[in-house]
Amino acid sequence: MGVLFCRMAEQLYTVASDSETTGEDKSQPSFPDVAIGIDIGTSKCSVAVWDGHQVELLKNTRNQKGMRSYVMFKDDNLSAGVTGGTAQENAHEERDILSGSAIFNMKRLIGRMDTDEVVQASKALPFLVQTLGIGVRPFIAALVNNMWRSTTPEEVLAIFLLELKALVEMHLKHPVRNAVLTIPVAFSRFQQTRIERACAMAGLHVLRLMPEPTAVALLYAQQQQQQLMHDNMGSGIEKIALIFNMGAGYCDVAVTATAGGVSQIRALSGCTIGGEDILQNIMRHVLPNFDSFYAGQTMDRIRSMGLLRIATQDAIHRLANQETVEINVDLGNGQKVSKVLDHSEFEQVNWGIFEKCEKIINQCLLDAKLVPEDINDVMLVGGCSRIPRIRSLVLGLCKKEVSYKNIDTLEAAVAGAALEGAIASGVTDPSGSLDLLTIQATPMNLGIRADGDNFAAIIPRNTTVPARRDMLFTTTQDNQSEALIAVYEGEGERAEDNHLLGYFKITGIPPVPKGSVEISVCMDIDAANVLRVFAGVVKPQGPAIPPFIEVRMPTLDDGHGWCGQALAKMYGKTLDLAVLPKKLQP
Amino acid sequence: MISAPLRAPAAAGAPLFRPASAPRPIRIRCAAAAAAPAAPAPTLYEVLGLRAGATVREIKAAYRRLARERHPDVAGAAPGAAAEFVRLHDAYATLSDPDSRARYDRGGAAVAAAVAQQRARPRWAASAGGYYGRPRRTWETDQCW
Repeated sequence: MGVLFCRMAEQLYTVASDSETTGEDKSQPSFPDVAIGIDIGTSKCSVAVWDGHQVELLKNTRNQKGMRSYVMFKDDNLSAGVTGGTAQENAHEERDILSGSAIFNMKRLIGRMDTDEVVQASKALPFLVQTLGIGVRPFIAALVNNMWRSTTPEEVLAIFLLELKALVEMHLKHPVRNAVLTIPVAFSRFQQTRIERACAMAGLHVLRLMPEPTAVALLYAQQQQQQLMHDNMGSGIEKIALIFNMGAGYCDVAVTATAGGVSQIRALSGCTIGGEDILQNIMRHVLPNFDSFYAGQTMDRIRSMGLLRIATQDAIHRLANQETVEINVDLGNGQKVSKVLDHSEFEQVNWGIFEKCEKIINQCLLDAKLVPEDINDVMLVGGCSRIPRIRSLVLGLCKKEVSYKNIDTLEAAVAGAALEGAIASGVTDPSGSLDLLTIQATPMNLGIRADGDNFAAIIPRNTTVPARRDMLFTTTQDNQSEALIAVYEGEGERAEDNHLLGYFKITGIPPVPKGSVEISVCMDIDAANVLRVFAGVVKPQGPAIPPFIEVRMPTLDDGHGWCGQALAKMYGKTLDLAVLPKKLQP
Repeated sequence: MISAPLRAPAAAGAPLFRPASAPRPIRIRCAAAAAAPAAPAPTLYEVLGLRAGATVREIKAAYRRLARERHPDVAGAAPGAAAEFVRLHDAYATLSDPDSRARYDRGGAAVAAAVAQQRARPRWAASAGGYYGRPRRTWETDQCW
C-alpha cells in the first residue's frame, strides 16, 4: 500500500494553485476541513487528527505511531519512513537507513548554513554533507547506485510529508490540506519558512507552526479543564507547569500558566542539542580515533560506521533501564570495539549536554520570573527524557519528586498539535474539550544591528504575540543620507552572533549633523506570527521626508553568513545607526 | 478604517532588553491623529473592566476572560483584533506586576494620556487597511524557488 515516487526527474510534488488559498472554494469540500497535527521529529515523526470526539494518532501499515523520519533513495524510486519501504521483502531495516542511501535528520539540517556547528556535526552521518564554511547552504546527497545524488533538506522533508499526507488521506478517506506542525523552540524564522516551503511542496498548507512544548502545554490545559469540569470547581486557580522536551535533535523548555482552558506561555527557551549529540559523544568515546578512522566516505567505512551507530544507539537505550551495558562490535579493517559502559561514564562523557539542559531550564524560569517553588507540574517529553540523568536533573532543578503522569512522552506534542489543528479550523465540541486558547510568546529577541556590530533588541524574547514594539535610532555621521536596517533574530549580543533575517536601506535622510535625526524602527508580529518591520524618519518632519518602508521578514533566502559580513564590511561605518540615548528622547 | 492602535505602551512590562523605562509620548504626529477627537482614554483598569483596587487574582481572571473573547485566534482576522489584544495584554502586563502597577497608579493620568496618544495612527499606516489580520502570505507568492 506504500506510495512510491517514480522517476526523480518528474515532478515530485504538487503545487497548490493560488485559488485554493484565497478561500473562494471554501464551501466546496463536503468533508470537514480539520487541520491535522504533525510532529516532525529528528528521529521519528507522528501524525494525529481530531476525530470529532478526541485526538487520534494514526498508525502506518507497520502498525507504528512513531514513524522513522527518513527518505530512501533507491534507483529511481523514493520512499519515506512513513511506509518504511513497501512490501515486507522491501522493508527498510536500520542498516539500510544507515547505508548512505537514506537521508535523515532533516530537521537538524533544514535552513542551516554550512558554518553552523549542527551542520558540521552532521558530517558524521552516513550520507554526504559537504560544507564550504562560508555561510551558504550545505550540499547534501544520498548514495544511489554508488553515486552521490544531490538533494536538499526541504525536498527530503517534502517527500516524507507527501507520504505522510497519503497515509492520512487513506485513513480519513478524504483529501487533507491544512496542517499544524510542531517545531523546536530554537528554530529561526528562516528555518520556519523552510518548513513552510517543504509543506507547500507536499501540498500542505501550514495553518500554524507551534513550538513543541507549547503543543504539550495545550494538551495539559485541556486535561486541567476537563478535570475541573469533572470536579465541578468553577474557573479554577492558575497552575504553573514546566515542560521539558528533548528529542534526537533539539531541547526545549516552556513555562506555562494555565487556568480556565487558557494556556499562557510565560517563557520559552531552546537549544540544538539532543540524542544525536549524545550518540556521537558515545561513538567518539568508544572509538577515540572515530574521525580519522572514518575520514573519507568510502563504502566500507559507511557500512562500518552504520554498525557502530546501531550498536551505540542500542546501548544508550538499554542503559536507561540497566546499570551497565556492553558494546561489542567488529568494525572491520581490524578495528574492534569492546566496551562496558556504566551510568557514571555515560554522564561524564555527556556532561556538556546536561549542563546545557540545566542552563536553558534556569533561563526559562528566570525569564518567566518564577522560582521552582511556583511550579505545580513538571512534564518530561521527548525520547531523551527517558534518560535517568535527564529526569533527575529536570526534577531536581524544579524541586519535584515526580513528573506529571497523564501525558505520553512521545505522543504529547503531536496530540497537542492535532488539538490546535481542530481549534484553529473552527471545530467546537459540545463537551467543551476544544474550548481552549494558547497565548504564545516569541522565543527569540528580534532587533537590528546598531552602534557598530551591536544588536539592539526591539522585541525582546518571551514577548506575548501578537506584539508591536518600536525603538528610536539616530545617525552616526554628519549629513548621513542613508541608513542600513539589518534585521537579526537571536540571543547574541553582537549582531553577527544572531540570524540575519533581511536588510533594507532608509534613504533620503535630511542632511543634518549626526545624532539629530530620529529614525523609528517598529517591529510587528501579527496574529499569524508574521514579522513586519516599519522604518522611517520621524524627526525632522515635513514634506521633504521620504515615506516609511514596510518590509516583511525574513527576506533573505540563502547566504546568511557571508551576507551579514559583507554588509558590515561595505556599509557598517557609513550607514550605521546608533540607539538614541534615552536622555535625548523627549 | 477604524485605525489600528499601535505600539505597546512603554509602561508595559518594561522588559529587560528595552532601554525605555518611563512612558514617553509618541513622536509620530499626523493629520489623522490631529483630526481624531480626543476621546477620554480608558485607564488600564477600565481596559480590563475592573475597578482601581482590583486584586491580582481579579486582574488575572479578567485578562483570561477577555483574552478568550479578544485574542485573534478567537476574534478572527477582524481588523484591529490583534491591536485590541495587544492593548489588553499591555494592561494586564502592567497591572499584574506589583512594581509597574505601583508606578502606573502613581502617575496614572499621564500614562493613560500617553496610551491614548499612541492610539493615534502613524502616517505610514494611513494607506494600509491595518496590518493585523492580513492573510498570511502563502508560499506561492514567494518567488525564491
